[in-house]
Amino acid sequence: MISFAWLIPLFPLISFMVLILSGKKLKNASGYLAILLTGISFLLTIGVLLDLRTITEFEVIWPWLTVGEIEFQAGALINPLNGLMLFVVSFVSLLIHIYSLGYMGEDDRKSSYFAYLSLFTFAMLGLVMSPNLLQFYMFWELVGLGSFLLIGFYLYKESAKKAARKAFIMTRIGDAGLLIGLILLFWQTKTLSFLEIFQAIEQQKLAPGMITLIAILLFIGAVGKSGQFPLHTWLPDAMEGPTPVSALIHAATMVAAGVYLVAATYPLFLASEWALIIVSVIGAFTAIFAATIGLVQDDLKRVLAYSTVSQLGYMMLALGAGGYVAGVFHLTTHAFFKALLFLAAGSVIFALKNQHIKQIAGSGKHLAVTKWTFLIGTLAISGFPLLSGSFSKEAIFAALLEDGQYGLLAVALFTAFLTSVYMFRLYFLVFHGKGEDKPERTVPLCMNGPMVILAVFAVIAGFFGSQLADWLAGGQGSFAVLHHSPTWLIFLATLVSLGGIVLAYYIYLRKQINQEEWKETFSSTYTILYNKYFIDEFYENTILYSTRAISYLIFYIEKYVVETAMAFVSGTIKAIGTRGSRLQTGQVQTYGTVALLGLAAIVLFFVVKGGYM
Amino acid sequence: MDLETLLSFQWGMMAPEFTILITGVIVSLQDLFYGKKRLSNWLAIIGILLAMVFLSAQYQHVPVSILYDTYVFDQVSFFFKYILLMGTLLILLMTSTSRDEETEKVRGDFHYLLLAALLGGMIVVSSADIITLYAGLELLSISSYILVGLRKYNRNANEGAMKYIITGSLASAVTLFGLSYIYGLTGTTNLYDISREMSVIDTQLEPLAVLGFVITFVGLTFKISTVPFHMWTPDVYQGAATPITAFLSVVSKAAGFLLLIRIFVAAFTTEPGLSDDLTVYEYAIGFAGVLAAITMIIGNTVALRQRNMKRLFAYSSIAHAGYLLIPLVALSAFSLETIWFYLLAYMWMNIGAFAIIHVLIQNHQTEDISMFSGLYQRSPVLALMMTLFLASLAGIPATAGFIGKFNIFLGALSADPAHYVLAAIMIGTTVISYVYYFNILVQMYSRPKAESSPIQVPKALWLTIAICAAGTLVFGLFPNLALQFFSW
Repeated sequence: MISFAWLIPLFPLISFMVLILSGKKLKNASGYLAILLTGISFLLTIGVLLDLRTITEFEVIWPWLTVGEIEFQAGALINPLNGLMLFVVSFVSLLIHIYSLGYMGEDDRKSSYFAYLSLFTFAMLGLVMSPNLLQFYMFWELVGLGSFLLIGFYLYKESAKKAARKAFIMTRIGDAGLLIGLILLFWQTKTLSFLEIFQAIEQQKLAPGMITLIAILLFIGAVGKSGQFPLHTWLPDAMEGPTPVSALIHAATMVAAGVYLVAATYPLFLASEWALIIVSVIGAFTAIFAATIGLVQDDLKRVLAYSTVSQLGYMMLALGAGGYVAGVFHLTTHAFFKALLFLAAGSVIFALKNQHIKQIAGSGKHLAVTKWTFLIGTLAISGFPLLSGSFSKEAIFAALLEDGQYGLLAVALFTAFLTSVYMFRLYFLVFHGKGEDKPERTVPLCMNGPMVILAVFAVIAGFFGSQLADWLAGGQGSFAVLHHSPTWLIFLATLVSLGGIVLAYYIYLRKQINQEEWKETFSSTYTILYNKYFIDEFYENTILYSTRAISYLIFYIEKYVVETAMAFVSGTIKAIGTRGSRLQTGQVQTYGTVALLGLAAIVLFFVVKGGYM
Repeated sequence: MDLETLLSFQWGMMAPEFTILITGVIVSLQDLFYGKKRLSNWLAIIGILLAMVFLSAQYQHVPVSILYDTYVFDQVSFFFKYILLMGTLLILLMTSTSRDEETEKVRGDFHYLLLAALLGGMIVVSSADIITLYAGLELLSISSYILVGLRKYNRNANEGAMKYIITGSLASAVTLFGLSYIYGLTGTTNLYDISREMSVIDTQLEPLAVLGFVITFVGLTFKISTVPFHMWTPDVYQGAATPITAFLSVVSKAAGFLLLIRIFVAAFTTEPGLSDDLTVYEYAIGFAGVLAAITMIIGNTVALRQRNMKRLFAYSSIAHAGYLLIPLVALSAFSLETIWFYLLAYMWMNIGAFAIIHVLIQNHQTEDISMFSGLYQRSPVLALMMTLFLASLAGIPATAGFIGKFNIFLGALSADPAHYVLAAIMIGTTVISYVYYFNILVQMYSRPKAESSPIQVPKALWLTIAICAAGTLVFGLFPNLALQFFSW
């Protein structure tokens, strides 16, 4: 089976081609066709995974372009990491295709939607099995294109268009870094193949400074794609897209591509201490920074978006601290529970037509399946004991402890605490409370089904940590080690997680219960409620305002410095164009004159240069 | 020369040329006696297909020389003839079922002229003698002049043809003047003999060689429409019927490039050395770099201001010629391959784009860019195909145009010395070109449709578009197919 691995991305590609060329003719059939073809990809992936138990590495390459002595190749590389990613991508993508069937309902442009979704799936599958960085980069861009099309799917919404553009431009900044890193790497090693690059590093063909530079440039690409500080701002805005898209692209797969990039080129990072430090510090900062913002958002999807940014920071933090397995492990569990959370949020939006959590005010409780699956997702992400998130987070803490990064460990623990707080705030506000709004429509089975399946995975995925470590160690060797925490750390992590839940309970749920009494009696709960407001406003006044101040600063820099430069460039180009077309008088005499003057000038130049005058 | 010598030549190698010649004669007779344009078209298509069959049979044939190098068959001529034949075939398919009012009004037919022009081009790519090269060039040029002016009731066509012939004569004069220097220095018209003579030339005479080189080069820039002989392009492209425009921008240009390669690479790279042991080619080619830079800048910036699609594509074609000069400046073992691949890619994408423009002009009776507005709603397939061609012209990955640009770019950087400035200008102007190419995309996808009537697309035209789209995609995804084919 594994020798046919390269077929996996082709099925979604076929789906894309058929759907985009048939226009609107296929109507409802478009969704089924996309599901069928994605399903085939998924089955093939399973087959490949079964083979991977015995074969640890499989590479098939064809020469793609030969320029002189340099040969660029195309093909597929299957190793445990890529296999795992293949599974995550094809599995989540299949579920989301099914879910979309219900969510997109009778949307007029349904077939375009499924076409874009297939395109994205194709690109993402191609990305995770690229044997070299060139192919990787092409799929990386294609993934960005898919994301751009889907964020801007609701063409009539100005905000969606803006968000799509913003996502494209922000990630583009990261891509530029990646491209430069890629060119440097090629210049230094004369190859872009992952395996050959690792060999070159092993043989110490690269100068240490160069390795650091390249690693940082690659990381800049990852920062853009994975919404890490300071290029994270596009991700919350990307929530303008349809919710299943947010679940697939902006939670489970594409945003994890940055993490995957770091993991796939891990030997490069391991060879540079500085690069690792930068990765872990940026990751830690993003984790805590996004978590604090998540506390004060009132839009259901935006909270989840900031939570994604924060969790991605976790993964980076783990990778930066040498926790290769921990990072990949968290990537996997996160894909399941975050996709689940987004799908559940999508059901709420679908049924209630509202995504403002204070307006929903508990109306979510009428949706039983959604409520319970959302709760499972929330528990998992909060690190509730025995659910998947607790295992992967614990692995990250252990890796940090092992590496001796006590400061970062403290940050990570505090972030875990914040995570429980904001996630349960979300849960309590949406699913507990008065709940006056009855759902406008019921959630169909094709939406509930994927949620339940993902919920199962969100619960059990955590138990496979050590198997995952063995699995990854099969292909990658020495650095694929799963760190185990001492007992006190496990206790501490559990305490932090439960503490956050309890705090959220007191602030958000008790407030709801006592709201009427509060109005009448000014009881002692007043203080707690007040404190809750205090926290909210505290964050609003500090984090949000300072963010805004920075964004204004950048805005003005952009407006006056960048735009002036741009105006100069485009002005020059326009001026040349105007001059050039003015010269085009339409008179053939001018044409002749220009030609002969040109000739005369050239001859004169050579006469003078040769010194014959 | 006795009969025996004459018969000893491998005349069979000229089968493609003879086929085109005979088809041309048959088509002209048919036109004279019956005057059925449709029949002419099919005859011409069959003739070209036959010529392609003959040509294909010569794949990997050893080089042949007939009549003392006035006709040579080698790898280069094989591959360039392939482009010429394929390009003309696509253009004939494009015209086969569409009816152009203004062409219909004219009694004369363009098919045999097109075949004559093609024959001229084929002679240009398969000759190593200046006399035959020049004769082929003039055959190509004079046929082209008439082709442009064929729509004699159209003011633009008359104007374009007039300008074309005047500028063309000027260019011919300059070319001949330059060639006469070369002849004067070496006393022969055979390129191989010239090369030999040049290698033993007296260093005192080398300035004259440089002069011959430069003047001939400037004269020939007319055929490839680069600075300084580029100004005729927009007027002529606008005046000519769309298929003819496609012919001029693809087939005629491919022949022009091969002519440049033949004359300059063969004749000027063997001299003992002017200063610092440079050959005349190395010494003087720098000015072509300047020409390339100016051409890229002018083509791409002036295109920004065009609303007439044919004028826009004229400037676009000037810009592409500028890109193509780079491998000549950064001459290496791969320059030829690079130029050939780019011309091949350019053939697919440009003829494809012109085919769609042709359809729209037929449907709208206007050449303004607004004819593209709302195309996606009216015909999604047409819009997607146009998107593909534009993406390729702009050099977006996964298209043949990207690979072509990428090769040129790598060639410029890996040459010795590396041409960073040219590579940078190429990248910069490519970015500028995004503006006008994507402007068409905006028209197609975001503007409301101008008319709601369905677009009439003749079947044969679909064939042209499909072949071009397949070529653009296949050579964009698997460029090695073409490159391996090239290096037999």
